[in-house]
Amino acid sequence: MKNRITTVIMVLLAVFVTLGGATSCKSKKRLAKEAAEAEYKSRVEQATKDLNAILDDETLWTLEEKEARVQTIKDWNLQNAEVDDLLFQVEKKLARERAQREEEERNKNEQQQTQSANVTIESNFNSIARAGSVSQANRVINETLSLFESPNVPVLIIIKQNQGFNDYDRPTTIENYLNYVKDQKKATEKVFEIKYNANGKINELELIKK
Amino acid sequence: MKKIIATLAFVLCFAGAALAQDELSFERKQAIDSLALEKVRDLSKYIKIAGSKETPFSEANRVIDRAEELFMSDAEIGVSSLSSNQITYYRVRKYFEHLMRLNYDRVEIEWYNIEYVSDLQRQPDGTYVGVITIFQTFRGYNAEGNLEYKDTTKKDITVYVKRKETQIGGRTIGFWDVLLGDMRVKETSNR
Repeated sequence: MKNRITTVIMVLLAVFVTLGGATSCKSKKRLAKEAAEAEYKSRVEQATKDLNAILDDETLWTLEEKEARVQTIKDWNLQNAEVDDLLFQVEKKLARERAQREEEERNKNEQQQTQSANVTIESNFNSIARAGSVSQANRVINETLSLFESPNVPVLIIIKQNQGFNDYDRPTTIENYLNYVKDQKKATEKVFEIKYNANGKINELELIKK
Repeated sequence: MKKIIATLAFVLCFAGAALAQDELSFERKQAIDSLALEKVRDLSKYIKIAGSKETPFSEANRVIDRAEELFMSDAEIGVSSLSSNQITYYRVRKYFEHLMRLNYDRVEIEWYNIEYVSDLQRQPDGTYVGVITIFQTFRGYNAEGNLEYKDTTKKDITVYVKRKETQIGGRTIGFWDVLLGDMRVKETSNR
């Protein structure tokens, strides 16, 4: 009899433990699901907020920071129609900003290249004019010619600017002009405008009397 | 009668406007005056280079090509001498060849007092014509470095400046083409 009671108690205990454990497991899953849903909701909210801020230029982020943010949001793979639509718009906007930035950098580089070329060319004119010998002048002439598409590149010389209108001397070629500087031993013109071909060689030079 | 007066007034206005268009501003006129003077100075350098016995033959030839481009195609340069009253006129290339053949070991040629004796004046065809005078001192030395011959010549050069157009890089460029005409000997002395 005593043994029976013990067995019944043991069985009841086992049933309680099993039932209790099962109930706790179900609760954990539900909690996890709720937590996941809460996190998803939070990410959607955050993504919507960030993407709208980028679209409305309300952030102080750099272009790189904005691009990184967009990548993070894409990595979340939220599969939310509103977020996807915002992502589409933001990516288009950032592509435009990227293109504009590259254009600005290209212009800046070209400007620097032109300024640097102006300095080089004018410095070479002076070196040719002041050369101590014909061979020395010819060396600088050859060095200068290497910057040009060909020795026949046209050189225009502005003798007078008047109300947006230019008066020119008879056009010459770069080879003749450089020899002229050598012969006359004077460099009385400065660079006004340089035009380049696709290979970065000068294909037109405009000078102006100093 | 009214019609005739109106027509005359219109023609006069049109002609006046056309004339005004052709008139250069003082600054532009000054710029082409300077350009023509500069071409004459350039010529003096070319004569000096070609005349120098130290100039390599290839350089002298190149300089003669450039000098020829300064002149009108039929221009002549006068050459005088203290030993003769005769003035010989050469075409530009011939003049330079004559200069290079002169029988001295060293030659010095200086041009100075380069200035207008007759300002550039607009002709009916639109060409501006003027006369620039120069003084040239010539010195010829022998192998010992002694001065063998010296003279000073006053020469007048007629200059022609005409507005022309050319196409460069797909655009029309209007430029002033300065061309030198005859270079006439006015006087020669042993100064």
